[in-house]
Amino acid sequence: MSAVATSDADLVERLIAGATGTTPRAERGRAWLAANGLPTERDEAWRYTPVRDITAALATAVAAGTEATGVTRDLVDELAGDLGGPRLVLINGALAPELSDLTDRGAGLAGLWVGGGDELRARGSGGPYTGTAEPADGFQALNWVAGVDAAVVLIEAGNAIDAPIHVVHLATPGQMVALSHPRTVIKVGAGGRAQVVESFVGIDATADGRAITNSSTRIVVDDDAELTYQRVLNEPDTTLHIGRVGVVQRTRSQLHATAVATGGAVVRTAVHVNLTGERARADLGGLYLPTGHQRHDNVITVDHSASYCESNQNFTGIVGDHGRGSFSGHVIVRPGTVGTDANQSNPNLVLASTAQADTRPWLEIFADDVKCAHGATVGRLDEEAAFYLRSRGIPAAQARAMLVAAFASTALDRLSPDTLRERVASVVEVRTADTTANLETPS
Amino acid sequence: MLSIRNLTASVGDKQILKGLDLELPAGEVHAIMGPNGAGKSTLSNVLAGRDGYEVSGSATLDGVDLLELEPEQRAAKGLFLAFQYPVEIPGVGNMYFLRTALNAVRRERGEAEVSAVDFLKLAREHMARLEMDPAFLSRSVNEGFSGGEKKRNEILQMSLLEPRLAVLDETDSGLDIDALRVVATGVDGLRNPNRSMLIITHYPRLLEYVKPDKVHVLTDGRITRTGDHSLAHELEEQGYTPATAGTAS
Repeated sequence: MSAVATSDADLVERLIAGATGTTPRAERGRAWLAANGLPTERDEAWRYTPVRDITAALATAVAAGTEATGVTRDLVDELAGDLGGPRLVLINGALAPELSDLTDRGAGLAGLWVGGGDELRARGSGGPYTGTAEPADGFQALNWVAGVDAAVVLIEAGNAIDAPIHVVHLATPGQMVALSHPRTVIKVGAGGRAQVVESFVGIDATADGRAITNSSTRIVVDDDAELTYQRVLNEPDTTLHIGRVGVVQRTRSQLHATAVATGGAVVRTAVHVNLTGERARADLGGLYLPTGHQRHDNVITVDHSASYCESNQNFTGIVGDHGRGSFSGHVIVRPGTVGTDANQSNPNLVLASTAQADTRPWLEIFADDVKCAHGATVGRLDEEAAFYLRSRGIPAAQARAMLVAAFASTALDRLSPDTLRERVASVVEVRTADTTANLETPS
Repeated sequence: MLSIRNLTASVGDKQILKGLDLELPAGEVHAIMGPNGAGKSTLSNVLAGRDGYEVSGSATLDGVDLLELEPEQRAAKGLFLAFQYPVEIPGVGNMYFLRTALNAVRRERGEAEVSAVDFLKLAREHMARLEMDPAFLSRSVNEGFSGGEKKRNEILQMSLLEPRLAVLDETDSGLDIDALRVVATGVDGLRNPNRSMLIITHYPRLLEYVKPDKVHVLTDGRITRTGDHSLAHELEEQGYTPATAGTAS
């Protein structure tokens, strides 16, 4: 880790000045920040993130307010959708009870609430923070210090919940550069099963206002448990989002996780899965489609620390206009493990010569009994296919939009329930129409 | 109906069509045969509007010069090209594709669009005639289709789109005897007094099922000989060389 620059130290000092938390988690974060500061583009994992743009914006940031003024249920439905199951709505990191649906829809689900670490411990889940873990980087440390409440989804051992549990984070920056630190904790007890959707949305910023979201989602999937986790990032085009999902998977647990980024000015999605129990299986996928001057960065890590585990990373990038999308697929296989199966794929579609796609397999394998396959492609639209469609009477723009949508379909097909898939598909459709409007006609 | 005048096409410095003339009246079926490299596929590509050719001359369909139009406008005018190598398009459902194409063409003709329900019924009827399993509707366009299935899917599109002029580019290539019979019978069933067909082929076997009114020999970028149906058999027995003795290189 690089030395902390003075200006950075001042910045960090200012950002945590109002945070009064004294939990072990907050203390640990504070100590980590003092020693290490915020990351820079020289840090391997931050190579494709425009960190300077983020720190520049942080220089004028203030803590986001927590009043839900003006946000209606209709607005939440419009931005994030109503999936029919229990729904927690948080505005700038604080629960909005009047917008949430907890009691009437949470059949069989006692463990859905917003609270702090004390409450987690009091409810006997042990809390997500053991007191010894270190933050992964300066932004997560900042989240630990300045984040207050967490949205908690707790599935008791042996309990299976069929309805999708929806956690909505809504940012309302108002006239300010407003910084919030949403936190989510999802724990599925042994043998439990659940489906959680996490949506990040915002209200279009005013001329001066924009949101900076520094989110942290912590997931534990216990022995023989199964979790479907879907993360939908559809924020206004001014938003900066630094997001981190940290997962621990125990023996024979299964995770199906999908992350879709359509909005934001800069969206960084770091997913770190630690397979700590034998025969755990992580199936990770995603879709990102930066256009305009958007930057979408995905840093996906699977740490095989136990034997006979299987992981898949399947992320699709569609980059248009001056957009830039990146994928770093990091696989670690620990010494002494056997029977590891790790796969990676990252197909990219580049729609303009000014757009850029970066793909980086990053394998650290310290064991012999490993099956590890990775494949990445960066290509342009298939003009042969476009001609075929046009020769049947389909107008050029529609033909191209159909092909772009087809490229996205593998990722979209991962989403469930249908209401969510259709919702995201329609956002993608609007995006691809934008994107193909800027498509260059090959000469 | 189709009138091709002094059509030339080149790729870079290489001229492939060298002043081709052809008249195809309404309701007639003409075959174009010729040796490899004579320009048969170039002719179909140029008519359909594929990029990459430098083109001059004219090809008018019902008085409109196709060469001035975009590929989708040519389709709306009533041109249909059955591809020699139909393209696989993963992720685009066959039914969605077929309905989008039909409605695009109907819109251009000023006809009402077909609803999803009505389309399904229509597609099933047309598929039955081509002995196609309706399951092909739910697959991606041509993805994983066998050679014969791809060609049937081409004829299905032709059947649904009801073109004024169909150009069949080696539709018989890669088909076994049974598939050839089904495809060829399907094509023959689409003949009518308002529809013309240009069948590009190497072999006379497709022409056994779809009897052409005329057979043209295309050699070195021009039509060098025209005859009736019996010419196809003569070519099969004697090859192209006797007919083209003066120009063969």
